[in-house]
Amino acid sequence: MKDADIDADETDRLLLQRLAAGDRAALATLYRSYHGRLCRFLSRLTRRADVIEEVINDCFWVVWQKAEGFKGESRVSTWIIGIAYRCGLKALRQRGDEPVDDEGLPEDRLPSHDPGEDRELRDWLSKGMERLSANQRVVVELVYGVGHTLDDVAAIMQCPVGTVKARLFHARVKLRNVLPALAGDQLTQKESVP
Amino acid sequence: MKLTKNTDRDCAQAWEAMPWVLQDSASPEQSAWLTDHLAHCEACRQEFAQQSQLRLALALPTDLPLDPEAGLKRLLGRIDAAETEVAHVQVRSGTWFTRALVAAVLVQALGIGVLGVKLWSEDAAQNYRTLSAPTPAAMPGAIHVVPDAGMKLADWDSLLHSLQLQVVSGPNDVGAYTVVPAHAASTTDTLQQLRSKHGIRLAEPATSSP
Repeated sequence: MKDADIDADETDRLLLQRLAAGDRAALATLYRSYHGRLCRFLSRLTRRADVIEEVINDCFWVVWQKAEGFKGESRVSTWIIGIAYRCGLKALRQRGDEPVDDEGLPEDRLPSHDPGEDRELRDWLSKGMERLSANQRVVVELVYGVGHTLDDVAAIMQCPVGTVKARLFHARVKLRNVLPALAGDQLTQKESVP
Repeated sequence: MKLTKNTDRDCAQAWEAMPWVLQDSASPEQSAWLTDHLAHCEACRQEFAQQSQLRLALALPTDLPLDPEAGLKRLLGRIDAAETEVAHVQVRSGTWFTRALVAAVLVQALGIGVLGVKLWSEDAAQNYRTLSAPTPAAMPGAIHVVPDAGMKLADWDSLLHSLQLQVVSGPNDVGAYTVVPAHAASTTDTLQQLRSKHGIRLAEPATSSP
């Protein structure tokens, strides 16, 4: 774990302790801190904004109630994202997965600061992600997006590490095969290849 | 990814290492090794470039229009509602308990009242005698009377009534009754009257010493 991650986890633990004592300010801080991450993570499960919002609130409802029981066996982020994952699966089971197409989003729902390059990158990503299963999208998000280890992902998804490895492997193979070869090249030139 | 025979193992190792090098969680040695491998392997370089792009794309903030403040407000509202509900349940259960307690006390009080009235309304005369109460024989004016065995009950009742006597004890083993005057009267007169009556075999003052 990187130093920054250790510091972040330490801060999260302190917030969680305060939260367990009924401190709503700590809850608000933790909520704001995780909102973006959870939005992005849950958007790999569904594109329905209303479901994502409900799942985030369900997740923090559980966090509020169970904070006292957090034993510290994992990172706080692993614990919270695990709760969000389970809440997300539950919500999808109850409602049925009805992902919203990016194309179906009205223009004003996209951030106004979204530059063309980001839009292109999003389109490129969505082309690949739509070919993956929900579990594969979640693994890709957790590894590449959030930066979790295989062990963390296994803890979040409550499955063996080998299963996570297999999902990641198959997701990468699929992405390699379906994604256009480095669309436009100009995007890749930003990334310096070591 | 094209794997040549010579670099199969290296490319597989590079494939494994890429996510963690991108995450910056690989060891410095592993990162250095991958850098070196990429410098000589076009296929892995392309793969790594795509992986880098993937990571870049996944790091973009979500395009879903979700306002964290609005969500937080709803969450706090939900917590408030739950806590209020819990408080109401506690109050409701408290009221129920209090009411049940009051009802129980009222039922008890009612029962005690009914019992009290019943006992009070019963005849004051006790069908028992306490140890401190005087024995019938020790009562003032007490007389032992032995009626004749053939005396009719109606005659005996009539005699007692006429002399205003009340049986307080008896008959004992020899058929003697202890009677006392209902009103203050001379024991001697009563004795004489009793002795003069037909059917009275014996009439003696109970208190007189033999």
